[in-house]
Amino acid sequence: MPEPATVGNAETGDVRQEADRELVRRAQQGDKEAFEVLVRKHHGRVFAVAGGILHTREDVEDIAQQVFLKAYFSIKRFDQRAAFSTWLYKITVNECWDLLRKRKVRPLLYEADLSEEQTHTYQSREERGEYGVDVSSRLEAREQVEQWLECLDEKDRTMLVLKEVEGFTVEEIAEIMGLNGNTVKVRLFRARQRVAERIRRKKRAAGV
Amino acid sequence: MNDTRRFGRPECDEVLNQLEEMNVAIATVDETFSALTAETRRHAKSCSVCQAAIMDFAETREGLATMKQGMPEAGPWFAARVMMAVKAAEREIEERKEGVWVSVRRLAPRLAAFAALLLVLGGTWAMELRRRDVAGQTELRQAEGLFESGQSAPLNDDIVASAAEGTRP
Repeated sequence: MPEPATVGNAETGDVRQEADRELVRRAQQGDKEAFEVLVRKHHGRVFAVAGGILHTREDVEDIAQQVFLKAYFSIKRFDQRAAFSTWLYKITVNECWDLLRKRKVRPLLYEADLSEEQTHTYQSREERGEYGVDVSSRLEAREQVEQWLECLDEKDRTMLVLKEVEGFTVEEIAEIMGLNGNTVKVRLFRARQRVAERIRRKKRAAGV
Repeated sequence: MNDTRRFGRPECDEVLNQLEEMNVAIATVDETFSALTAETRRHAKSCSVCQAAIMDFAETREGLATMKQGMPEAGPWFAARVMMAVKAAEREIEERKEGVWVSVRRLAPRLAAFAALLLVLGGTWAMELRRRDVAGQTELRQAEGLFESGQSAPLNDDIVASAAEGTRP
């Protein structure tokens, strides 16, 4: 997983953005290798963003591929006024919302939802000790988080996950979601209040 | 919603601004307090609203921390898979473009035959229409001739005269 954006990392960020700009310029001229480098550089965070909104691995993979296909065919129209990454995450968020809107429901990920191959992969990774905790408790934890986040609408949920799980800055979130920075701050503050209240209530009910 | 002052007190707004800028690694209440600047921390310790905001902040971060562990990650094959999908999509677009011309060329004789048939049918229909029109006009002319050869209509003077005779006592 790529490192999250942090304050004080501006210089590295600028260098990275300049490298992206050059790759985008080459990709706009039809250089497929340049585009592949962009895919390799950004797929981690595209997966993370989609993973925060969607619930099954298959959906995340499909959406991530869809995002890069969309980016490839519209890169000539990308004017580079915003950073390539921001543009890409914007596509990711919109694609995820489109998928959710099409389905109208948010299916939770249960172990039974995993394909045979996925279960096998999880189990073998588990046996090799790649996970700190076992798969079912990880899924249980995820399910619990999903229940906490149920009180939020799609936008607030996306904002909160981008901020608290993926480490995006308020400015990045504002740009991705086409909102004012202060609006993002206010919505984050309210979303946190609601989620924290829900967590406390669940803990009280569980006698923790 | 665009109001930057969420609590109305600049000290509280400063606490919130600092919370939003905090690194994702900071999660507990103690860590959050320590990450604030000294002045802001002093205010936060004496302000119940800020303390509640810090509690919410820490609680949410702690709660969502498990989410990161379960996030799907891209496999090493992912970039290759995307590039293959790009190639397939490009091929499909090319085939679709070529497909239009191929179908036009393949359908050309049939299209020509259909156009010829339409022309013949249309021509026949137009000729039949014209023939009927001519026949209709001839019939009308004959009927008009019949009236013209019979008794002539009475003159206006005769009508006036006969009307005057009828009214006389």
